[in-house]
Parts: sequence; C-alpha cells; structure tokens
Amino acid sequence: MSEQDLTLRIRANLRLGSDFELAVDHELPVSGVTALFGRSGCGKTSLLRLIAGLERVRDAEIRFGDQVWQQDGNFQPLHKRRIGLVFQEHSLLPHLSVRQNLLYGYQRTPTGLKRLHPPEVTAMLGIDDLMDRRIDQLSGGQRQRVSLGRALLISPQLLLLDEPMAALDKETKRDLMPFLERMAVESKVPIIMVSHSPTEVGRLADQVIFMEDGRINRIDSLRDSLAKPDSPLFNFAGAAFILEGELGQTNIDGFRPFGPPEARLWVPLFDASDHSTSTRLRIQAKDVSLSLVEQQHISIQNQLPVTIERIDSSGGYSAVVACRTGDGQLILAEVTSRAVRQLQLEPGKAAYALIKSMALLP
Amino acid sequence: MGALGPAEWQAIDVTVRLCLYTTLILMLLATPIAWWLAHSRSRFKVVVQSVVALPLVLPPTVLGFYLLIALGPRGLIGGSLEQLGLNHLAFSFEGILIASVIYSLPFAVQPLTEAFRNIGRRPVEVASSLGAGALDRFRTVIFPLSRGGYIVAATLTFAHTLGEFGVILMLGGSIPGETRVLSVLIYDHAEAMNYEAAHSLSLMILVFAFFTLFAVYSMNRRFGVSRV
Amino acid sequence: MFFTAMNRLVMAIALSVLSAFTWADQPLRIAAASDLRYALDDIVAAYRIAHPGAAINVIYGSSGKMTTQIINGAPYDVFFSADISFPEQLAREGLTVTKPTVYAIGRIVLWSNTLNALDLTLADLASDQIERVAIAQPAHAPYGMRAHEALQSADVWETVQPKLVFGENIAQTAQMTRSGAADVGIIALSLALFPEMAKHNHKLIDRSLHQPLTQGFVVTRNAADNPEAKAFADFMGTKQARNIMTRYGFVLPE
Repeated sequence: MSEQDLTLRIRANLRLGSDFELAVDHELPVSGVTALFGRSGCGKTSLLRLIAGLERVRDAEIRFGDQVWQQDGNFQPLHKRRIGLVFQEHSLLPHLSVRQNLLYGYQRTPTGLKRLHPPEVTAMLGIDDLMDRRIDQLSGGQRQRVSLGRALLISPQLLLLDEPMAALDKETKRDLMPFLERMAVESKVPIIMVSHSPTEVGRLADQVIFMEDGRINRIDSLRDSLAKPDSPLFNFAGAAFILEGELGQTNIDGFRPFGPPEARLWVPLFDASDHSTSTRLRIQAKDVSLSLVEQQHISIQNQLPVTIERIDSSGGYSAVVACRTGDGQLILAEVTSRAVRQLQLEPGKAAYALIKSMALLP
Repeated sequence: MGALGPAEWQAIDVTVRLCLYTTLILMLLATPIAWWLAHSRSRFKVVVQSVVALPLVLPPTVLGFYLLIALGPRGLIGGSLEQLGLNHLAFSFEGILIASVIYSLPFAVQPLTEAFRNIGRRPVEVASSLGAGALDRFRTVIFPLSRGGYIVAATLTFAHTLGEFGVILMLGGSIPGETRVLSVLIYDHAEAMNYEAAHSLSLMILVFAFFTLFAVYSMNRRFGVSRV
Repeated sequence: MFFTAMNRLVMAIALSVLSAFTWADQPLRIAAASDLRYALDDIVAAYRIAHPGAAINVIYGSSGKMTTQIINGAPYDVFFSADISFPEQLAREGLTVTKPTVYAIGRIVLWSNTLNALDLTLADLASDQIERVAIAQPAHAPYGMRAHEALQSADVWETVQPKLVFGENIAQTAQMTRSGAADVGIIALSLALFPEMAKHNHKLIDRSLHQPLTQGFVVTRNAADNPEAKAFADFMGTKQARNIMTRYGFVLPE
C-alpha cells in the first residue's frame, strides 16, 4: 500500500485556558488505525481538532504527505482537507434524513476523487435498511454507524474518530466494534482515533500515540506497546495482550475455533448475529494461568503449549510471565510470585497457558 | 372612523418601506454579528454584546441626537457626503433607515444569537468536514436549523421599526413622503386636534402590533427561541 | 429560492438608496410655526386654487425646533417663524436667500375648556381652583416665551410655575388645554379662533405685558432655484392671504 509511507507532520503550540498547553512537534504515522491514547484532559481531542483545522493556532505547521495543511500564512480550511470526522456524541444533521446525511458529503466530493460509494459503504456498516428514516428514529449505535458511513462517503484521505464509542452503552459498543474493525480493514482509509479505552485500542489500533499533559510521550506499534511490562495500556485492568488469528465457523456446541491448529483456542459465541471474522482477541493477563503439564480434568477449555520468555516480578507478590505460543505470538500470564518459585518458572521453560473461555468474549 | 386620505397612504408607504428595508438589512447585518456572539471566545464579546444592546436602554433621543450630529451637513458622515457632492443624510429616508437599523439591532441580533447558540458548533464542523464551504454551510445547515430564529428576528424587527417614534422625529422631522411615518403622522394629527384621523391610524397600529406579538410568542413556543 | 429573492431585494435597496441621492421633483416644503396651523392651511388651499397643480407640503412645529432642523440640513424651502429672531439667525448663518420679512404680529390669549375664559385674569391663575396651566416650551417656542413674560409682568410667575405643563409647541399646548389635561392654557389667538376651539371663549392678554410676537418668514438656501418658493412668498402679500390672516386674529404689518 502506498499509504504506508504517509506521515502527518505536526508542529504546534496550543494554549487552552490558563494552565493547559498542547505542545507537539512530531511525525505521526498514518497507516491502518492509529490510536491517540491518554487520560481525559491530556490533549487528545485538541490534537485531533488541530489536525482537522478546527483549532487554529499561529505559527503551526501541519503537513499531510506532500500536502501543506498549515504552514506560515497558509491555512487550508477543513472543507478542503478531505478529512472524515466522527465525533463522540451524535452529530447527524437533524434536519436531514439518513439518506440526505449520508449523501451530504458524497455529493460535494469531486467525482474523480470518489473511491467509496453508497452501496458498498451502507452494506459494510449494515445501514441499508435505515436510509429513509428520520434521524430521531435511530438508536445510538445506528447513529454512529450512519456518521461513520457519512464520513467514509467523502472518500477521505484520513479519518479522524473522536472517541466514537464513548457515549454508547456497553452492549451497543460491543455491537459497533465489529463494524469499526471491518471498516478499518475494508475502507483502506488511514484512521486516527482518540480513545481512553485500552479495550478499544487493543481491538482496533495498529499503532498507539501515548499522550500525557499535552505532550506526545511515545509512538509505538500496538504489539511493542503491549510487550512492555509498564505499558499505559495496562493502567486500568492490569496487564493484557492481543492474539491475532482467523475466526472459524461456529461448531455445534456454539464455539468458534480461533488461530492455527498448533495454537488453537475455542471462543464462545457471544451473539449469533455476529458473523465477523475478527482477527483479534484481547485477553487480560489475570485470566491466564500456567501449568507445567497438560491438564485433563479441568473446566478450562483452552490450553496452549508455550515457552516462557521473561518473568517480570516487579509487582511484589504477583508476577507477569511472558510466553511465546506455537505460532510465535506473545501471551501474558499473571501468577503469584509464590507459584513462580514453586513451579520453578524461568525463561526457556516449556509450559501450558490455561485461558478461561469467558475471558475470550469480544 | 374616517377613510384614509392621501397623507395617510403616503405615511403607510413610507412606514412599510422603512420596516421592510430595515428588516432586510438587519437580517444580513445581524447574521455575522449573532454568529460571532454565539460562538466566539473573544474577550471583546462582552463589549460587543453591550454595544448591540444599547438601543434597548438608551432614550431614542440620545440616538437621534448623535445621528443628527453625525449625519447632518455639519457632521462627520453628512459633511463628507456633501464634499463628495452627495446629499447629507439628516431629514431623509436614508437617514431614518440608518437610524432604524441601529435602533432595532438588538431585536434582530438577540433571537439570532439564541438560535445559533442552540445549533452549536458541531453541525457546522460536520458540514465543513463533508466539504461544504462557508456559504454552503450557511445555506444548507445554519439557516435551515435557525429558521425559527430568523422568523422571530424578522418579525420583531419589523414590528419594532413600526413602533419607532422618537428617533425619527429628531432625525427625520416630519417630511411627507420622506420621513413622516405613521407614528409621526399620528402625533401630528393629535397636535392638530384631528382626533378622528389619529384614532383610525392608532387603532390600525394597535391591531397590527397585537397580531405581530401574538405570532412571535406562538412561534417562540414552537421553536423554543425565547428572549426579548 | 431564499437567496435569489434576497439578492433581488438587496439590489432593490441599493438602487433606491442611490437614486434617493438625487432629489427630483420635490414638492415645496414649508416649515411653519404651530400658531399658523389653521391659518396657513387655509392660505395653502387658496394658493392651490390660484396655482393648480402646485405641490406643497406644510410641516408644523415650534419655531426654535424648526430652526435647529434647518441648521442641521432639513430640506425646507420656506420658513414661517412665530418670532423673526429665528429667521434672522438663519440669515446670519448664510442659510437663507431672502431677507427675513415680517408677515404678522401674534397675540396670546387665555383659553379654557372648563371655565369661562372671559372671567379669567392672569392673576386668577394663582388661585387654588386652578391646578394645571399649559404654556408652550419657552426654551424654543416663541409663544411660550411670551407667556412666560406675561406671567412675570403680572407678578404671578412664582406661584404659577409649579402648576405649569409645557407643550412642545403652541398647537400641542392648545391640544393639552382642549383635552382638559390643563385647566387653562395660554395659547395663540390664531388657534383660539379655529372653529373647534372658538366654541369656548378666550381672553386676550394685554400686549403691553410681553414683547411683541413679531412673526417673520424667509426663503431658505434650499429653495435658491425654486420659483414656487418665490411665488408662495409673493402670495402671502396678496389681499386674499392677508384676509385669511386677519380672520385668525393676526395683526398685519403695513
């Protein structure tokens, strides 16, 4: 993909109020999904608005690939940047129908630049049946899907999502996630997504921009950032990791196979209508146990043979053990320090990782 | 009540023209001001807000006095116009039009500001991201979403201009066909003890004013655009 | 839709504003003191018969106010003042094209809607039965100035002052008295002789009690090239006009 080489160059100082300042001078990667991650108030949304041209500061420099969005006296207004925007809260135009909302940007996109068209986008987001509804007849999740579709239909060169799921309840979030995953893969539009949810970042992001107090701390691939024992992505629910693989067809007792035979997991089917072939599972380290022998009489369904790579005991009475699976992926298991001593766990030792099925729920 | 004579019709013509032009000019002029007031974070906002609201509290005579000084042949504006070979603006229709625009400014700006504030920035930012330029955004998003505010603003401006008296008397005198509006003609009739004519015109304005306000308050309930 | 309509209206406004800068075919505009309200209406009617097709507008007000308006650019062609000092002031400022000319001497009277004015004297205005007395605003209405002088000469100014209500001009003063808002008014004889007012008696105030109301008129610079203004000024000297003035109680100069 030629977009792989795209970067977003940003240099700006933005003062908001008396005690907050956003200061960035970075080249941001723009391929796949990039998460802007940090606590609320760290400047994620301000950075996003800066990229969009909704905050205008003097002496800033913003370049997207070889396009100058802002430099010296030049300022390209948002309507000329071809950026798709999706906000946290409902932002559909209330005086227009679903169809009119979807087509608002499509009709304003020069024909030569149109890559995405209504039939494929509405199918991708499952909104074909909503076209003639009024906005106030949509549920929260449907509204966000229409917003996503509307943004995609301008065939944007960049999609900016400002916590698109923050205002939704837990179940709606779970429903929307597969659409987002699918959109990220199928639309081939680079996405920058603001999030403070490690789960969302884990499910969607390819790389993560870590922000704190108006500064960019680090830019890492998701895999690298999760491999660090003190990753900020662990802040809220302890260590976690991502497994990638193909999700197979549902078998008779309602489980779906995940990953290659040498590292096969069985994932409980959460929702019969979910036909996604989601390629990622996010698993908390505390839901993983280790055994030196393969277990027979145990309720846990998922056991993977692994090799221990590293043990991090900085947690005091607990330790995070990093293991490598048969297909080369990283698994983290949180066990007690006592268990590490009793089982004599050490790097290079073979073991079995036991994962509770319920921890595999999307 | 007697039938309306030529003087009455002339005053009605002047009045309706004045109200219409004032309303149109103010809709154009108040839109950017109201948008700025609704969304700006500038520290000058309070200053502008206060200036716009001044005609609400100032005696019309203060406004009339300053306009007379500014627009007359010896004033800054009127004097400059004379030097350009044009006529000064005191005691002319254009003069009272300028006065009406200033005098009714808050009645146009306040409902619009309220309407724009209710819309918020979000729909405009969305439209912008979807490729709509400034005029396009106004036409397809801001205006349709603030239509109620425009109706209220236009109605109030028209009605308030109709009720103007002091400023016009000071700046315009009572020149038939030029500056003698209905309110001034009623004053003249009353002074000439022509009570019958004063009566029919007054009643006409009274009825019109009532229905205008009735319409505005009904719309307020429907669109939720209150104030004033 | 909205915008096409809007554009057209904006154009219309722009055009009308531009065209308004050229005053074409304006009628003759006469500014007149309010004491002339009925007399001048009759004279204009007579003039129209003599000059069919003449377009004339008369605007009444207090002489002081009219003078200020003319100084500030009001487009009046002929100015009939209740006091010649105002046209003289305009002449000094170079705003006139004729010499101020005396056209009448005015008189002030006591008039009441509730009392018989014939039984009243200026001294009676001080009595407790009379609560409100209307006079014109002395600051800019000549009839008000003369009323003020007369009250001072009769030595009742101090006692009457708290009862005074001020009309913006002498016609308004008459109207205030007629409505009963004031018990007694000091108004122009010319107004007291207007049929509606003449149903009640009036009492002339001795002319020795105040400066004479020497009324003068002038053609303003605005009418420098206006033959109609000249024609009307001439008409004021005709017997017909003089008769009307006399009928309204004015004393005419020789």
